[in-house]
Amino acid sequence: MTTRTVTVTRRFNVTPEQLFDAFLDPAIAGRFMFATPTGEMVRVDIEAKVGGAYTFVDRRDGEDIEHVGQILELDRPHRLTFQFAVPKYDPTNTTVRLDITADGIGSVLTLTHEGVDDAYLEQTGKGWAMILENAVQVVG
Amino acid sequence: MNANPQLDNTLIALADPTRRAILARLTQGEARVTELAAPFAISLNSVSKHIRMLERADLVVRRRAGREHLLTLNPAPLDAAQAWIETHRALWTQRLDALDAIFEAQDKDSSR
Repeated sequence: MTTRTVTVTRRFNVTPEQLFDAFLDPAIAGRFMFATPTGEMVRVDIEAKVGGAYTFVDRRDGEDIEHVGQILELDRPHRLTFQFAVPKYDPTNTTVRLDITADGIGSVLTLTHEGVDDAYLEQTGKGWAMILENAVQVVG
Repeated sequence: MNANPQLDNTLIALADPTRRAILARLTQGEARVTELAAPFAISLNSVSKHIRMLERADLVVRRRAGREHLLTLNPAPLDAAQAWIETHRALWTQRLDALDAIFEAQDKDSSR
């Protein structure tokens, strides 16, 4: 049962390999992944293998905010799945999955970010109208 | 990602079909607890438990009129659930925009 799902699709003018590698290269990932305009990315460690850990430390107003996780799937250049948490704000792990396909001379990335707690809402992302529709069906 | 107990309560409250059915009924207007319980093949006591979870999530507001307890829907927290999704969608869009800008810059560098 999946919950709280966000999906974003985007096309890039680079090969699937270049796109895939950008997420695992600390020099590049540190500039777009968890960077904030006012923060300073002070440390990025990525152990690029299945089971490998990663850490992004963004310094915001003198406070270090750690983004941590573990790589769950690594199938270059098609699929990269990792757990993601910001322990300072919320210890809950969420899962981010990247699916990359070739598209002409470029690539299309579909990013799916989902919560992992079964107790959460099943229909997230489909909106409240859908929830009520289901409810009406339950009532009969 | 900020810890958000309010949102957790909302999502947990919405995760159950009986509670969603109660909310659906309340979109039609105020109702007594006994009216809400009527369509369900479960005890009034367990319907009351569901209602308490909805109240904890601020999705349902109770008012007393004499001996009667009247319940109304409060849609505000639902907007919060939607907000979680929209916030994360915006964050990823922003990150992927930044990645695209990095690629564009590299492209310019290499073709120089």
